[in-house]
Amino acid sequence: MSYQRPIPLKNHDNHPYWDAADCHELSLQKCECCGEYAHPPGPSCAKCGSTELSWENLGSDIKGTVYSYVVSYRPFLPGFQDEIPHIIAIIELEKAPSVRIIGNILECRPEAVNIGMPVQMVWVDITEDRALPQWKAVL
Amino acid sequence: MGNISNRYAIVGVGESERSKNSGRSPLHLALDAARAAIADAGISAKEIDGFMSYHENDSCTSHQLATYLGVRPKYVKDITGGGSSTEMLIADAIGLIEAGMLNTVLIYRSMNGRSGVRMGGGGWDMNLLQNAIDGGSFIIPYGAGGPGQWFGLFATRHMHETGITKEHLGHVCVSFYEHAQRNPKAFFNGKPLTMEEYLNTPDLVYPFNKHDFCLESDEANAIIVTSAERAKDCKSRPVYIMGISGRQCHPHTHYWSDLSQVASDYVAPEVFKMAGVKPEDIQVASIYDCYSWVVLRQLEAYGFAPRGEVGDFVADGHLKMGGRLPSNTAGGMLSEGYTHGMNNVLEIVRQIRHEYQGTDRQVENCEIGICTGWAGPDMAGAMILKN
Repeated sequence: MSYQRPIPLKNHDNHPYWDAADCHELSLQKCECCGEYAHPPGPSCAKCGSTELSWENLGSDIKGTVYSYVVSYRPFLPGFQDEIPHIIAIIELEKAPSVRIIGNILECRPEAVNIGMPVQMVWVDITEDRALPQWKAVL
Repeated sequence: MGNISNRYAIVGVGESERSKNSGRSPLHLALDAARAAIADAGISAKEIDGFMSYHENDSCTSHQLATYLGVRPKYVKDITGGGSSTEMLIADAIGLIEAGMLNTVLIYRSMNGRSGVRMGGGGWDMNLLQNAIDGGSFIIPYGAGGPGQWFGLFATRHMHETGITKEHLGHVCVSFYEHAQRNPKAFFNGKPLTMEEYLNTPDLVYPFNKHDFCLESDEANAIIVTSAERAKDCKSRPVYIMGISGRQCHPHTHYWSDLSQVASDYVAPEVFKMAGVKPEDIQVASIYDCYSWVVLRQLEAYGFAPRGEVGDFVADGHLKMGGRLPSNTAGGMLSEGYTHGMNNVLEIVRQIRHEYQGTDRQVENCEIGICTGWAGPDMAGAMILKN
């Protein structure tokens, strides 16, 4: 059965992030002017407005901790009805603490999730050529 | 431009019928609300030369409203917006009157929020949603498609940092539902909520259950703003604007990664400074309540209780009648109705006019009140009012 959930839309500003994700890697936009990461990526830096932007590949070994989370017991979007409850979390990256990435924590009971919990980025192949970055608890 | 404090007033408020299925267009609802506000002010529709509204592509235009009131105004303006747009449009109106462009402005919000376009979503095109929301492709694929989830991320972190519990969220709901029992027009009139019932209600999205979410309603509200000078000729008791302020703080409208600050934190000092009063001078409040937690975070931001003590503040009953800050006394958006905040504005205007005098709905001798707006953690507005 084909993938029922929304697939990340690539656009002019964000495609390097999703292209890297498809290769099971994390790439982040960075501002050359103020030195800060820009996430989510955009046409210019949301902190200083500069257009001097580059991309930094952080590879495939991405660790982080849970900064916050919610547990959805009702599908708010199509395709999620078979994954109830599911955990939506903000993850603070170990390598770049100023970057916090929103994703799901997979294979985790709602009672088990807590703020500060260590997690590892994993990639779920959702179609033939697309992969979605997700998280799993570090046991 | 000089100090505008106390030089402008809300002179008319009105609403349409409130329902879950109006069977009528937003234009009809807006006309009902506008006519009620005009009658309340005791002016002629033709004295209004500016019409403004905010919408989510779910309303009629200001141009249409003016047309069917038989008015040909100088100025019409429709902005996309939600919480805090009321305050921002009032500030716009004041600026235009101050500049000599207009005399009197009617501001309205009209929506079939239950039978028409629902804020909670449903039926959206997923690709459209990803494009429409700033940073959308970084949240929609993860099932984060509604404000309950976006604000919930803030709430979980804030609760973790400050010791706020589910029971504290429940106190906000129980307090506002109690107010709704004195308001025959509130949706939850006749449906009080006990803490036991609240705590036994399953979560829709942790940390929120259905009581923590605002209602959906088909409804229009309208308010009329003019100068203090013109206000003297109106039938109603003017409610003067002591201070008004708005602010954006986070980048992006829906992708938030810094949960340590909200825009209300910045609005608070500005609005109190302009009004020349302190939090302890406020006697009645309308606090934007799209979610119970949003009230708690704003109580902290506006200095009604120190960070870490907001939970005790609501548990001690301070949002109730007789408490230190009776708030959302019509029931608020949690239990009265939902027009993106404007119904809370109507209520505080009526409180400050002492319109409920002689009933148990009146906050005794209230002279000064605050009304806050919350478009999200990223955008807020507030105004301080007096009689």
